[in-house]
Amino acid sequence: MATLEERPILTEATAVVPENPDGKDEPRARKVSRHKTFRSWKATPAVTLLIGLSSVATFLGVWAMVTELGWVKPVFLPSPMSVLDQGIRLVETGDLWVSVIASSTRVFTGFGLAVLFAVPLGILIGVWWPAKAIMDPFISLLRPLPSITWIPLSILWLGIGEAQKIAIVFMGSWVYILLYTYESTKRVDPILIRAARNLSANDFAVMREVVLPGALSGIISGLKVTLAISWSCVITAEMVAANNGLGALIWQAKDWGNMPLVLMGMVCISLTVLVADWIMVRIERLLLPWERNLRE
Amino acid sequence: MKDVKNKASILSAQNVFKSYKISGQKDILAVEDLSLDINEGEFICIVGASGCGKSTLLNMFAGFISPTSGRLLLHGEPIVGIEPRCGMVFQSYALLPWKTVRGNVEFGLKMKGVSPKVRRERAEYFIDLVNLGAFADRYPSELSGGMRQRVTLARIFASDPEVLLMDEPFAALDAMTRQVLQEELLRIHEDQRKTTVFITHNIDEALVLADRIIVLSSRPGRVKAIVKNTLARPRHMTVQLSKEFTELKSEIWSFVEDEVRRHGSVTPEYP
Repeated sequence: MATLEERPILTEATAVVPENPDGKDEPRARKVSRHKTFRSWKATPAVTLLIGLSSVATFLGVWAMVTELGWVKPVFLPSPMSVLDQGIRLVETGDLWVSVIASSTRVFTGFGLAVLFAVPLGILIGVWWPAKAIMDPFISLLRPLPSITWIPLSILWLGIGEAQKIAIVFMGSWVYILLYTYESTKRVDPILIRAARNLSANDFAVMREVVLPGALSGIISGLKVTLAISWSCVITAEMVAANNGLGALIWQAKDWGNMPLVLMGMVCISLTVLVADWIMVRIERLLLPWERNLRE
Repeated sequence: MKDVKNKASILSAQNVFKSYKISGQKDILAVEDLSLDINEGEFICIVGASGCGKSTLLNMFAGFISPTSGRLLLHGEPIVGIEPRCGMVFQSYALLPWKTVRGNVEFGLKMKGVSPKVRRERAEYFIDLVNLGAFADRYPSELSGGMRQRVTLARIFASDPEVLLMDEPFAALDAMTRQVLQEELLRIHEDQRKTTVFITHNIDEALVLADRIIVLSSRPGRVKAIVKNTLARPRHMTVQLSKEFTELKSEIWSFVEDEVRRHGSVTPEYP
């Protein structure tokens, strides 16, 4: 109760402008009053959306203005209209879907294989220290390597087909998935394991009923981060050696000097990754129903 | 007393010592030469100042930790490793967040390989017994502290261990919720008559619940006094208003008082 009663007093205290030794009272006082104006705004979803939309509109407006008025040359920065034109053409010719599907397939195959490989391994090194001792040197050496450094070897071994692109995604993702899984496994509350054993759970049951579900939330958060990394891997791989996919689309557009298409390709990558992320959030809600009230 | 002890001592501690190693410091002796016999069906409360080794003793009975020397026996046999026959109720609930109330209460039965149909029925019975019927499909995070502790009670009774170990189960709850849960535990105990070792630092709670009250000295923990609770069963919370209750309370307090003072200060009740 005491803290509740103290709260208004605390607010007062923060609003009071302390004595300013420099004698510059003016800017301080203004800062406080501006702060109060914003405080009367409530961060409702509608207000947040409105602010977001207006900032995007402002950005697009400025972009359109500087390009349409000829302040910036079109070869240097294409206008938003020309980018939109390219977008419409991509949709009409069907090239957009071909590229999106080509890249997505590579990402989800490579990412999926990395999940199948690294999640069980991460749990294993989390619960069994010898496995960790075996894996530790590899993790330390592989983690700092950008996946792009695997491109020469992967082309040598796998050619420039799909397998090579998938391998780049795999190599760029699995170490992170492993580390996130390991950390999440380690963070499972030991008292829950104790309680489960006290209720007759054997090693296997502790694993299935306590460690796995306990680590799941952290693993999924890790997968969300890693999925974005997988996307940057595939784009890189496609820019170096591919004849389809969003990365190839951008790279070819660059070769043709088609900057509007480059920008449109970038927009498409952003949107595709956003959709992929949204799907992950849905999957997360489906897999973690017990966190439903923490989200609301 | 003696004949009872010979008859059936389900749980006992014999000359138990427990010390903890803390790096760079002298070992801390938590429990010193502690011996105790607990009879079948008996409700024991262990009271003592904070840091007197109450929880250490209970954790040894559960097999979570082993004594430095001495023996802990269940049915005359040493306890080695985590002992599911001694079911533990934790102060911090230790409910599985990803299981509903029903899933948590069924857990012990599932682990013992009880068929889904039977365990559902048993869980249902104990969920009703702790008045959580309407919340069977909720997750622990959706419940209040008092309700969560009710789930742990239902969970432990459903899994039917031979001994119940309760580590200050109601200490984190507000006074009113605590009183309601004491009443429920009392009612369930009258019904089930399960051997219970209950740790508390609340003398009122001990007197309402226990058959015998063990007073431990402050660190290192030793048995300072054993007080037989003469209050008649079946008991109700109103027993706290009787003269007998007050007399027993002052008797126990006389044992506890110097220990608390010797320990320096009374630590806060609610952690």
